[in-house]
Amino acid sequence: MKLDCKHIWRELSNYLEGDISDKVRREVEAHVAQCRHCAALLDSTHNVLVLVADERRMELPGGFNARLRARLVQEMAISSPE
Amino acid sequence: MVEPAALKKEKEARLIEDVLAGRHDQFHELIAPYRRGVYLTAYDILQVAADAEEVAQEAFLKAFRALRSFRRESQFSTWLFRIAINEARMKLRRRREVPLETVFPGEDEDGDYTPLMLADWREIPSEALLREETRRLVQESIAELPANYREVLTLRDVNGKNIAETSEILGITIGNTKARLLRARLMLRDIFVERTQRKPAQQPSRGVAP
Repeated sequence: MKLDCKHIWRELSNYLEGDISDKVRREVEAHVAQCRHCAALLDSTHNVLVLVADERRMELPGGFNARLRARLVQEMAISSPE
Repeated sequence: MVEPAALKKEKEARLIEDVLAGRHDQFHELIAPYRRGVYLTAYDILQVAADAEEVAQEAFLKAFRALRSFRRESQFSTWLFRIAINEARMKLRRRREVPLETVFPGEDEDGDYTPLMLADWREIPSEALLREETRRLVQESIAELPANYREVLTLRDVNGKNIAETSEILGITIGNTKARLLRARLMLRDIFVERTQRKPAQQPSRGVAP
């Protein structure tokens, strides 16, 4: 079966996850090979997600760990896990 | 051979036992691997550094107090992130910002979101923009997403949780997690593309014939 653009959009996320059957993956790739809109959509979504993942390297605010530790120590002095 | 994940789980179980037995200082070591992730999650949802720090601290304090109620069948990190998400939601509610469990039309179906088709749609200038500028644009784009899309996106795409864990943290089905994630990603991409195309670099040149 040939997939239309709407089907591609629905599968896009699963495709990027690799969470897709071989059959559907081949159909997506066949469609994308000849539909520049879907090809661009796939590329650009992938690129944005790469940028989003890059956020993982964001710095914690200065002194974050020390302040957290201090609050926990304070709490530990007055309470125990229930 | 013991797998790293199993090893980690074993170590965490030992630390939890220690804390429950009164060695409270072990709690710092237990949570050390998750400080950044919990903060980032709170930040992505709240978009204000001071609020994110407050929520992260509150989440860790709650986790400490409630440690005895942690059920071993789920992972410690899943439990911890669920607490963090709930804290972030409460903060949003206090701010009266967004209706919380907003279900968007069609979310339970396969998400008929129609992506923007822009003239210059191939332009995601990851190299064309300065790094910091790009980062700011990504952050601003995330901020524009509805709160429950920010949640799913930060768990899966920023924190790298898998679909199963993401759905467990959010308390929704795997199918709903995937549908919500698809929408979040498509919408984020649209917002980002729109924002980058609004850049002054794209000003039209005046009066020049093609």
